[in-house]
Amino acid sequence: MFKFMSKPKKAMVYTVLVLATVWMLIPFLWTLENAFKPSIKLFEPGAAIPFLQYQPTLEHWNFALFHQSVIKGLINSIVVSLGTTGIVLIIGTMAGYALARYRFSYVKNKDLTIFFLSQRVLPPVVVLIPFFIILMRINLVDTRLGLILVNVTFNLPFGILIMRSIFNEIPVAIEESAFVDGANDYQVFWRIALPLAKNGLLATALIVFAFSWNEALFALTLTGAKAQTLPVMILSARSTRGVRFGFAAVNTILAIGPPIILTIFLQSNLARGLTFGALKE
Amino acid sequence: MKFSSKLSFSAIVLALSLVLVLPFGAIGQEGCKGTPDDPYISMERQEFLEDEPYKGKTINILAPKTTVSKPLYDFAKQWRNETGGKVNITEVPLATFHQKIFTDLITGMGQYDGFLTAAWYYGDFFEGKRYIEPIQKYMDDPKMPYWCPETVNPAIEQLLKWGGEWYGLPNDNDGQAFYYRKDILQKEEYKERFEEEYGYTYSLPPRNHQEIIDIAQFFNDWDWDEDGKKDYGFTGHFKVGGQGMFHYMTWAAPYVISPENRYFWFNPDTMDPLVNSEGHLKALEDLKKLVNAGPKAMMAWTLGEAWDLFLKGDAVVAFTWGDLGALAQDEETSQVKGKLGVSVLPGVEEAYDPIENKWVSFEEPNVVGNNIGGSWHGVISIYSDNPQMTYDYFAYMSRIDNAFWNQMRGWTGVDVGRSFAFLEEHGGSASVEDFTEQNWSENGAIEMSKGYHENFYADQQFNLLRIPGAEEYARAVDVIISQVLSGDTDPAGALDKLADRFNNITARHGKESQMKYYKQMLGE
Amino acid sequence: MAGKSRAAKFVFLLPALLWVLGFVLYPLINSFSLSFFRYTLGRGREAFIGVQNYIDIFNSPEFWFTLKITIYYVLITVTAETLLGLFLAWMVNKRIQFQNFFRTVYTLPIFTTTVAVGYLGVTIFHETGGLANWVMGWFGLDIQWLSSATGAFASSVILDIWRWTPFAFIILLAGLQGVSKSRYEAAMLDTNSSFQIFRYVELPAIRFSLLLVVMLRMVRAFKVFGLPFSLTGGGPGRSTVFYTLYVYRTSMKYFDFGHGAAMAYVLLIIVMIVIFQLFRLLRESFAAE
Repeated sequence: MFKFMSKPKKAMVYTVLVLATVWMLIPFLWTLENAFKPSIKLFEPGAAIPFLQYQPTLEHWNFALFHQSVIKGLINSIVVSLGTTGIVLIIGTMAGYALARYRFSYVKNKDLTIFFLSQRVLPPVVVLIPFFIILMRINLVDTRLGLILVNVTFNLPFGILIMRSIFNEIPVAIEESAFVDGANDYQVFWRIALPLAKNGLLATALIVFAFSWNEALFALTLTGAKAQTLPVMILSARSTRGVRFGFAAVNTILAIGPPIILTIFLQSNLARGLTFGALKE
Repeated sequence: MKFSSKLSFSAIVLALSLVLVLPFGAIGQEGCKGTPDDPYISMERQEFLEDEPYKGKTINILAPKTTVSKPLYDFAKQWRNETGGKVNITEVPLATFHQKIFTDLITGMGQYDGFLTAAWYYGDFFEGKRYIEPIQKYMDDPKMPYWCPETVNPAIEQLLKWGGEWYGLPNDNDGQAFYYRKDILQKEEYKERFEEEYGYTYSLPPRNHQEIIDIAQFFNDWDWDEDGKKDYGFTGHFKVGGQGMFHYMTWAAPYVISPENRYFWFNPDTMDPLVNSEGHLKALEDLKKLVNAGPKAMMAWTLGEAWDLFLKGDAVVAFTWGDLGALAQDEETSQVKGKLGVSVLPGVEEAYDPIENKWVSFEEPNVVGNNIGGSWHGVISIYSDNPQMTYDYFAYMSRIDNAFWNQMRGWTGVDVGRSFAFLEEHGGSASVEDFTEQNWSENGAIEMSKGYHENFYADQQFNLLRIPGAEEYARAVDVIISQVLSGDTDPAGALDKLADRFNNITARHGKESQMKYYKQMLGE
Repeated sequence: MAGKSRAAKFVFLLPALLWVLGFVLYPLINSFSLSFFRYTLGRGREAFIGVQNYIDIFNSPEFWFTLKITIYYVLITVTAETLLGLFLAWMVNKRIQFQNFFRTVYTLPIFTTTVAVGYLGVTIFHETGGLANWVMGWFGLDIQWLSSATGAFASSVILDIWRWTPFAFIILLAGLQGVSKSRYEAAMLDTNSSFQIFRYVELPAIRFSLLLVVMLRMVRAFKVFGLPFSLTGGGPGRSTVFYTLYVYRTSMKYFDFGHGAAMAYVLLIIVMIVIFQLFRLLRESFAAE
């Protein structure tokens, strides 16, 4: 269709797209700048060209990276996000498979699905206090495990729904023939269904990872020094002497770097995953 | 030896020791032993240290992520060399610090031995039960590091005690003093133009709050330092959460606290809030005029940005913490080195007595010093298994030589406030060279010493609210002030709303007990 | 289905089901009961006060103000993001060159940490030294981005739009890509106007996706926390204290769990009502396909 558009119209479309690109990318570029600009120059926006208008400096990086808590924050974020992703993948995929392949009699599949879907509607703040109290009672405040438990709870519905859609897409025939050959349910799941659903697994993993990586409200409330994650570290750029923007910028880059790099490599899978979760309920 | 010989023998020994000791000036302040160059370390302490008393033990300290927690690490190393004890320091974001301390204490988790606490948390430390250890018994113990309590200025001493007893070990000394550009205000040409416009000449330092307002208005919005940029009158930090409410407290103190009345927050007999009194209102209206003589963007500034404007040389007056003076000495970030004047806020000639409900006039402006701010310092948790060790660590930092070291260096975040850190002419024992060696300008040293000495030793002192729930009260003030100053609502109505909020908070904590704590906080 | 055991389906389903029951249902009920008590951390459950917490909340002008600005926030951001997302998706769908590049770029903001975006916003919207006013300066404007109530609200909204438009973009793009070529070809027999094609072919096809975007975004928007927290701290005054921040402060800063729980529940009910309506529309359109 596009091919048939007139030249001026095409130009207009490209202009808009380029403007939108600039709009989307500016904050990233700005963060990069802030991470390398010396503190005095921070509030001089005109000074945008490195080496020409200001001397890039590594002072913020030195400060941040050698501050042991930043490294700890990074490690905590990685552990929590990987842990969450792992658990969601395991029990979420199983549940998705169950909903796609089996018929439940007591409670219909459709209702179960809606039940899980409704969890996404829950504003996290409603369970903020009970979670705090629960974690306090089982001594998991300020631990990575506690944070993983919380994050899994919020990401599980997502995982279940996506994987269910994925499995719905895969033709049952292959599995059926495996059954005929004498395989049991678990073998079919593990050997046949899962490999076929690889793309979906990847998309789910990516999304769950990203969401738990960025989670701030619970991280702020439930962690202390030991289990602080990167979003909390970023907030700590605010001290009694005001916000240290250079430090915040470095933390930001550390925080958004990994998910973005992952995205760029796997972006086509991402789109399919998000939409499968959306369309084929 | 016969008795009389013993006596004369002792007299001779005493005289000799005095003679020997005097030339070194080692008597120090007001009965203190030792000086910053030569701290006093008792025999008992030296013996005590010989066994490496804390070897193999570790204490956990919780501190907020701020500049003032930096020295903790350096001193932990030194202290470990001396005593063998290890210190584990954990820092959390300032926004969650209060929450972290009190979840630890109230739930009984007791993960920490000590906290680098803010002064206004004290009420919460005593709500329901006592959560921190009194330290008098350690202060009296000669085996512990000696830090001479007499060197703590009266304004700060108030903050380290509760109900008349010592709980905190001195560290940071926070108070807001008044800063002005001496060089600009001394220019004859500007003085004349000011006189033409306002009909009088201002004094240096300004005589009262109205003069400050006039000066700020006069110097606002034109280029008076010829750098090609527009300059402003006043700079401050009023972002919600940016400690803007402290500005209000500092400014409003002399409108309410006077020889007739010492209460700023509540009526101690009824616990009715006083914050919407006529004096408070006038103070707020005046503050609004002052704020209007500065950049509108101030409403979203935190400390860094507010100070930045002054340090770049673009504001003529400000009132804030000692960090500004210290930062001004760093040529890399400051263009006002050597150009400052510092004094206590001059005060007002008419103050309001909110208990008796009447205005009082004075011939000389009514001046009130303040100890506003965190004045971050160490306290010991009752859950600590090693309270003496924790005391030892904090006391080590409070020791005269170490405290002096901290206070001379602006980057430590510890502000000048112990008596020995002031210049000799201000009752201290520091010399100008002590400052200039650390890269201070001579003018800076003299002005800071004078200004902060005036502030901390003023006859009347502001009482920082430290009862349980102080954070809530402070936040209520923060939000209301921000609303008024940003033009969102009018002052009178806002202060009435504030009084309502205060009543709500008081009711939630229990009026009777709040009254009891308020009195304890005042030392009554 | 020969060979399938009955036990297997439960083995697969139960872990997730139990998790949800334990970690969601239990706290929900707990929270609900908490809201009927006066509960302060440290002093435990003090007194059963029935609906007093709720009454306190409904009587508090702070609550209504917060609710009002939160609703404005939700309406403005969701509308803007859906429209922008649709616009971008529509264009990218036209099989232009560099399609993959644009698609990737338009997805990036979704991975940023909201609190980081907030701090970044402080430097961008800084009134004397920030990017926004530097650009505004070219037009001779000087806006009080962070120091005025409306400015702060606007800054939060702008950042939110930047952060979440990609979400709408992705879903709507996928929806558009699902429209089969044959339908386009059929339509092109009748008209050449892209607008007509949009209105009669594409729009109906993505009705489901549109509703989905609106529903999901609305739920997310009500929960907004990190962005305003780091950008303005709720100020100036209280102009950006959105609902979740309000609940967070009450519960975790002042340890007033009773009121906090009640406030959270009010939010839950509001969100549920909104979603229920949207959900009905969703099911109807799903059935129509």
